[in-house]
Amino acid sequence: MKPLSYVQVRTAREAIEAFVAAGESARYIAGGTNLYDLMKLGIEKPAHLIDIADLDGANRIDTDGDRLFFGGAALMADVAEHPVVRDDYPVLAESLSKAASQQLRNMATVGGNLLQRTRCPYFRNGANGAYPCNKREPGSGCAAIGGMDRSQAVLGASAACNAVSPGDWPVALMAMDAAIELQGLDGPRVIPIAELYRPPSRTPHLEFTIGREEIVTGISVPKTAAGRTSTYLKVRDRESYAFALVSAAVALEMDGDRVRQAHVALGGVATVPWRARPAEALLRGETLDRERALEAARAAFAEARAGRHNAFKIELGARTLADAIINAGSKSR
Amino acid sequence: MTPNRNADRPRIDAHEKVLGRALYAADQPFPGLLHAMTVPATIAKGRVLSIDTAAALQVPGVVRVFTHDDFSQIRTTPAARGAYGQPGKGYQPMTAPQVRHRGEPVALVVAETLEAAVEGAEAVTVRYAEDPFSARMDDDLASPEPDAVSPLASGDAEAAFASAVHTIDVEYRHPQQHHNPIELISTTAAFEDGTLRIYEGTQSAAAFAGGLAGMMGMEPQALRGVSPYTGGGFGQKNGVQEQSVLVASAALLLRRPVKLVVPRGQLFHTASYRPHSRHRVRLAADGDGRLLAGIYETVQQNSRYDGFASDHGATPPRMYGYGAWRGRERIVRVDTQTPGHQRAPYEHPASHATECALDELAGALGMDPVALRLANDTQRDPITGKPFSSRHLADCLRRGAALFGWDRRTNQPGALVAENGDRIGLGVACGSYKAAMTPSVTTLRLSAGGQCRIATSGHEMGQGIRSVIAAELIDVLGVDPDKLDIRIGDTGHAPQHLTAGSWGAGSAAPAARAAALKLREELSQLTEAALSDEPVPVQLARTRRPYLEVSVDTVPLGKDRQAIEQLRRGMPVTTGPEYPDFLAFSWIAHFAEVHVEPSTGRVRVRRVVSVADCGRVMNRRTAESQVRGGVVWGIGAALREVAECDPRFGGVLNNDLAEYVVPVNADIGAIDVDFIDEPDSRLNPSGVKGLGEVAMVGAAAAIVNAVHNATGKRIRHLPIRIEDLL
Ligand SMILES: Cc1cc2nc3c(=O)[nH]c(=O)nc-3n(C[C@H](O)[C@H](O)[C@H](O)COP(=O)(O)OP(=O)(O)OC[C@H]3O[C@@H](n4cnc5c(N)ncnc54)[C@H](O)[C@@H]3O)c2cc1C
Ligand code: SF4
Repeated sequence: MKPLSYVQVRTAREAIEAFVAAGESARYIAGGTNLYDLMKLGIEKPAHLIDIADLDGANRIDTDGDRLFFGGAALMADVAEHPVVRDDYPVLAESLSKAASQQLRNMATVGGNLLQRTRCPYFRNGANGAYPCNKREPGSGCAAIGGMDRSQAVLGASAACNAVSPGDWPVALMAMDAAIELQGLDGPRVIPIAELYRPPSRTPHLEFTIGREEIVTGISVPKTAAGRTSTYLKVRDRESYAFALVSAAVALEMDGDRVRQAHVALGGVATVPWRARPAEALLRGETLDRERALEAARAAFAEARAGRHNAFKIELGARTLADAIINAGSKSR
Repeated sequence: MTPNRNADRPRIDAHEKVLGRALYAADQPFPGLLHAMTVPATIAKGRVLSIDTAAALQVPGVVRVFTHDDFSQIRTTPAARGAYGQPGKGYQPMTAPQVRHRGEPVALVVAETLEAAVEGAEAVTVRYAEDPFSARMDDDLASPEPDAVSPLASGDAEAAFASAVHTIDVEYRHPQQHHNPIELISTTAAFEDGTLRIYEGTQSAAAFAGGLAGMMGMEPQALRGVSPYTGGGFGQKNGVQEQSVLVASAALLLRRPVKLVVPRGQLFHTASYRPHSRHRVRLAADGDGRLLAGIYETVQQNSRYDGFASDHGATPPRMYGYGAWRGRERIVRVDTQTPGHQRAPYEHPASHATECALDELAGALGMDPVALRLANDTQRDPITGKPFSSRHLADCLRRGAALFGWDRRTNQPGALVAENGDRIGLGVACGSYKAAMTPSVTTLRLSAGGQCRIATSGHEMGQGIRSVIAAELIDVLGVDPDKLDIRIGDTGHAPQHLTAGSWGAGSAAPAARAAALKLREELSQLTEAALSDEPVPVQLARTRRPYLEVSVDTVPLGKDRQAIEQLRRGMPVTTGPEYPDFLAFSWIAHFAEVHVEPSTGRVRVRRVVSVADCGRVMNRRTAESQVRGGVVWGIGAALREVAECDPRFGGVLNNDLAEYVVPVNADIGAIDVDFIDEPDSRLNPSGVKGLGEVAMVGAAAAIVNAVHNATGKRIRHLPIRIEDLL
């Protein structure tokens, strides 16, 4: 049997110390719903697991201040069902409740969710070099480009990788300008969520900007009235228990009938959680109708590039985003 | 005694299963059990140059690593996997250093623990020489075989088609699909009482004595096959698996029990599947909608080496009173593992093509699709001219239409709009499946205390065969369901047939009934009086006999005693659809309501109404479940399931239950089921025709037709996915 050490720790400090002591082959584990899966697929091969699901206060959900706060180890299910989140920030609640399954959400954490890895089939099935994959084996090539790319990204791809960033929650957080609270060797720091993800460029195996030993201690979201006028629309191959083909997170700051500021992000179509600034710009100051919404939505895909089987995502993405914009707008009345 | 109809009882083994007490094949405990894991080939075709097992053998707990060098003595017989009874066909991996499909086992690691076996398997390194290949029917290197003209023909279909005013000429495509029963395929080989026992959750325990023994050069009696329960089979577990003989041989060589549970990802590359197929359908009708001709040509994927035939043309000509019919089937060989029977193996793809084409014809004629089908109803098989033993398809259509509210529908696509703007589409399609039977050998023992033990032929794979057997014993003997001991799926108790093709109930029910009636008769001889209406155990108790035991062999209609001998030797013997005086089929009509979201094209199946003619309904509850399950399969086939194969690599990319998309609860709306429930007494004394397969036939077509009715789009391939309707 492969030896595997496992420790539970109480504080971030202890966790980091344990991580550093264990070296290269250490991994943090929270719900384990992604990490164990990746271990079975031979993608992750840790020798030391440091369980951070029970760090003191790590599952705290706090909605009292001027920001919403979610501890890194808060469960997806608990955040999705929190009354304030559910009622005042539907985009956040829906991005969680439409992800995975109830059983998974009861295990999985909102911190782990940010760091889950792509569902690219060549990546997942690439054990023993079965397929060239730059994420698994840097420099080996990319089987998805020119292959069965129905699920692959149309935005943000590079010549080295077009794998989709799979999470729903990060897309909603992206629209809501969330901040990620981290703790590392040099103490705590905070970054905007947009800075957490690296575009694939020539090094698709490097997916996150944070240090390997850094811990996501929390996620905070500025409180805004736009939260109520928000929605997360997810289109997938079945009604539940599937990753997004396309998804749209939309939150609108309204001024009567007019959009003062739109917050728009896309999922299922891009290599990182995708902020759709061109769509936001076109919505600013507008009154909403289907045509305007569709025009703005199409602008979000102006830069999109299709492969062999995923061109539909561009049109589907635009229509889904338009539906989401209308849906969010209808909540202001 | 007139059979009791329509009893609604809980499944006889429901409690046991819900409590987790039912031990499946891989749950059987054996002292000293070793665990095995396979090393799957990472190329699609070629040769194994070398296998380095040194690192694997270093893994603590690894006992042995087997390669083709250890298994060259295994014989390939007509009973081997994929041969389908044909000499020279079929293929057993690991008997030579060749690779004929991606994912086939090239080494077998056996260890003291599962963890060590897995780690050992990962540590084996294999070098290959790759050959060019094609894994898909449409690829350059795929090899078409000559067309086979179907013997099922009548009249001059070409001429009738050429001169008809209303014609349809369309091609429908069906993808590769995988059964994915929840119970994984496994083999456990153990020694008990000096014989080798093979535990597999299989639909064919006899395949071991009949097939595996031969492959291992053993006498059939030296092997006992046990299938305690099968956690879903659907045809994937109907014979010797790729790993069966490897595990059995490993156990024999090591003289210890060995178990292998094949991981799901590997099953996509070693177990059977429904092959990809194309169906060209030509239909001709006169102005009143009378079908003048049908021409049906199919192309089906097969592996390079197996004997799996194509038989799509067997049911469509029997559906309606075609004036003339002609059919042709072609096989295209590619580099994959052997395909096989998957629930309604031909009938489902064939009904998809022909029932959708019929819908297109109704559109061209401006006729209502139900009316078109009723106008072509027939009580005689157009091919042989023989009558059907029973056919209530028109009643299925009429009753279904009424339950469903079919009169809302018009031929104009998109005419019905829901409150939220969704387009509503209504569709209909029909299906049939041959009513087949197979012989059984049954021993029934009733004790004065009320205990009732029956050993008979058949396998429980969740379809409810135990409940069917129970229904007859309760009906004829008045026994207490809690005192029943039903022993099936074990060649140690009775010879076993392959339980498939919907012949389970039609064979097990008459067998149980015959045994129960014989027992009554013997008791009345004993008491020298006719039996009363009291439960038989009570009447038996009065005789002061501790028990009464009878044995019966049941031979299905049209067969003789020889069939029992064949059964005893583990050879499949089945009847149908043609019997001396008639043809026998089960029939079904499905009605589907879909809602299509206009902006995204998302399809939701809100409601399905299915009305079946399966002869006598043995147990309303399990029968309804069968139909619901079949409809769910239809929804999966229509809208979700497809194996994604990259032609550059072969194999199936979406090889787990997250990525191979089957429907979830949220995808399933109402499914209302009804039955004609008329016993077919010409077929067997129980009046039973099969249900498990027919339940699915036509369900996908009804949904596809409903999608057309909602959108005006005629999508001629499965599954219909979101990109098809944008
Ligand atoms: C079948 C299936 C379907 C799914 N469907 C969806 C879906 O539709 N949408 C969706 O968004 N997700 C989906 N998921 C993914 C699921 O949401 C993630 O697996 C889950 O959120 C990960 O959280 P976890 O706590 O289990 O993380 P773990 O598996 O414990 O960890 C994941 C990674 O994050 C690291 N990590 C965890 N916590 C921290 C932390 N606090 N600080 C630093 N590093 C950390 C771990 O080291 C590991 O690398 C699905 C998963 C499965 C298995
Ligand atoms: S898309 Fe990225 S993850 Fe997928 S095969 Fe290519 S490099 Fe690997």
